[in-house]
Amino acid sequence: MIELDTGAPLDLHRASVKPEWIDWNGHMNVGYYVVAFDQATDTMCKQFGCGFEYTRDKIGMTFVLEAHVTYDREVKEGDALRITTQILDHDAKRIHYIHAMYHADEGYLAATNELMLMNIDYASRRSAPWPDFAMERIEKMAAAHATLAVPKQAGRLIGLPKKK
Amino acid sequence: MLESLPYELPELVTRAPLDTHRSTVLPEWVDWNGHMNVAFYVTAFDQASGAFMRNMGLGRRYVDGKLGMTFVLETHVTYDREMKGGAPMRFTTQLLGCDAKKVHLFHEMYHAELGYLASTNETIVMNIDYATRRSAPWPLPVGERLETLWATHRPLPKPAKAGRVMGLSKKA
Repeated sequence: MIELDTGAPLDLHRASVKPEWIDWNGHMNVGYYVVAFDQATDTMCKQFGCGFEYTRDKIGMTFVLEAHVTYDREVKEGDALRITTQILDHDAKRIHYIHAMYHADEGYLAATNELMLMNIDYASRRSAPWPDFAMERIEKMAAAHATLAVPKQAGRLIGLPKKK
Repeated sequence: MLESLPYELPELVTRAPLDTHRSTVLPEWVDWNGHMNVAFYVTAFDQASGAFMRNMGLGRRYVDGKLGMTFVLETHVTYDREMKGGAPMRFTTQLLGCDAKKVHLFHEMYHAELGYLASTNETIVMNIDYATRRSAPWPLPVGERLETLWATHRPLPKPAKAGRVMGLSKKA
């Protein structure tokens, strides 16, 4: 396994906006923000030994149970993205975390994605506790992230300011 | 505010909830877990929001005519059950609220043959002025259509999965 990165937040993931991610409004489509964020989840899971090989070798999988996205600013084709990841909470089977996507050159916040991820047993496709090798690393990363403030985009409720 | 739209609007569907949108899970939406990837649920729901907007009179002609656009501000998804490549999808859409510039929508995605609930999506969509790319009030005829639709959707009960805040119960 790769060396564990306990920087807080995790600040490893980089990407750029692909031409096929652009929609008729001339900016990255809402679905592809989540593609970019899902790739950042892969970067996090790789830290725990639960990346592509975890599934390829038929050990387990990770499924997203729930997701919340805030679309804060547009990004255009070719823009460089920097995505940071902060663990908010975890238990025997799940991790609650939030990604923040920044325009890597201009520095502005483009979007956030709060997620609940669950470990899945490969054979039964049902929830299962994290393997020991993963749990040890999740706990180390969570401890490192515990010092961070909870971002204001976490725990949001969707609604309009006043109903008609 | 735009007082009118320079094209004919489709006949307004006012069923509560709306249930016209259908789609299919494309092969390229499937990931290494052998099911529809999380992001493409959002793409599929975005197309359901597109169907809602077309019903309001805001389809491709609205953008191509450089009149305006609609942007998603925020979205919340519950992933309830897996969908495989080729699976047929049926959507329902409930208007939970609206104001001068925004709508608050709740979509449900069902497996169209097996009938199970696959996912839900609560979302806020805002009207955007084409030239400034900033928020703007709905065009007048769209505001009128929203009022008509709200009258039929307002009596619906709030869906159980609407208004969720994420967190661990500590009892996994």
